[in-house]
Amino acid sequence: MKSLEYRQEVLKKILLRKYHEKEKLELGDRWQANVMRRVRNLGPFQPKPDPLMQFGQFVWRLTPVTCLLIIMAAAVLLKFDFTPDYNVLISFITDAEEISLAQLLPL
Amino acid sequence: MHNDTPKPSDADIVRQVVGGNVNAFEILLKRHQALVLRIVNRHLPIHEVEETIQDVFVRAYRSLPTFKGTGDFSHWLASIAVRTCYDYWRKAYRAREIPLSELTDRHRQWLENVMSEQSQNLSAPKGYRSEAGEVLDWALARLTAEDRMVLELVYFKGLSVKEAAKLLGWSVANVKIRSFRARKKLEKTLKNMISKQGRGGIHEIS
Repeated sequence: MKSLEYRQEVLKKILLRKYHEKEKLELGDRWQANVMRRVRNLGPFQPKPDPLMQFGQFVWRLTPVTCLLIIMAAAVLLKFDFTPDYNVLISFITDAEEISLAQLLPL
Repeated sequence: MHNDTPKPSDADIVRQVVGGNVNAFEILLKRHQALVLRIVNRHLPIHEVEETIQDVFVRAYRSLPTFKGTGDFSHWLASIAVRTCYDYWRKAYRAREIPLSELTDRHRQWLENVMSEQSQNLSAPKGYRSEAGEVLDWALARLTAEDRMVLELVYFKGLSVKEAAKLLGWSVANVKIRSFRARKKLEKTLKNMISKQGRGGIHEIS
């Protein structure tokens, strides 16, 4: 009777040979047609987007928000009358020598 | 008539497919079908080969944009094929679709023949060829999906640890440790089988 190790080695070699003897499978052409059908269903790849185009899209997406902010800012300016400030600015520009900071600011 | 037009390289065809020419993928399919068939047929049961080979190519198509074109396309595709086989085993083991049935009298008879003094020619005794495959499947079913794949690649196919690591997408250290442990597990299973068979109790092997 051979030793356990020897018998194990023989069995390993036989199983290994069996693994390599696995019968070769012949497939028809149907599977190729199936692959191409599945691939066509997935569709072509989308071309890589241009970064400049992406930036443009991003900017246009912000347009409504920007318009809304402009309208709100205009409303705020109309509500708080800015005419006095405008007058002060005019007098400051035209009569710069006489006007001082103390006159401008209620100190 | 001899056609001198050079064949487009794999990288060129990949560029065409990624550029939107889906039909060009058929060229890659026909060029590399033998390689993928060989890998899938080697690792999976025969009845799963046709469906899995389709999955490999569809998976490859989806991953085409990640192919950098610097390496060999066939290596890249082989890696996808091996990982698809690994995924198959992972699902099969998780779903417990691997038959863990005990060996039968037929297998016991086969093993007795193998272990007898006369059958040392390292081939399965005549009339018992299917039993050898069944015993092999039985032994491999006792491993995990990871152990099975690594064992098949490193010990059965004879790939280097580095090659197996690249195909599986694992670290070299992981493959080294797993292959060592998997081999020990398989050896233990075979040892148990032989010793139980020697005592006439092969049915007791779990």
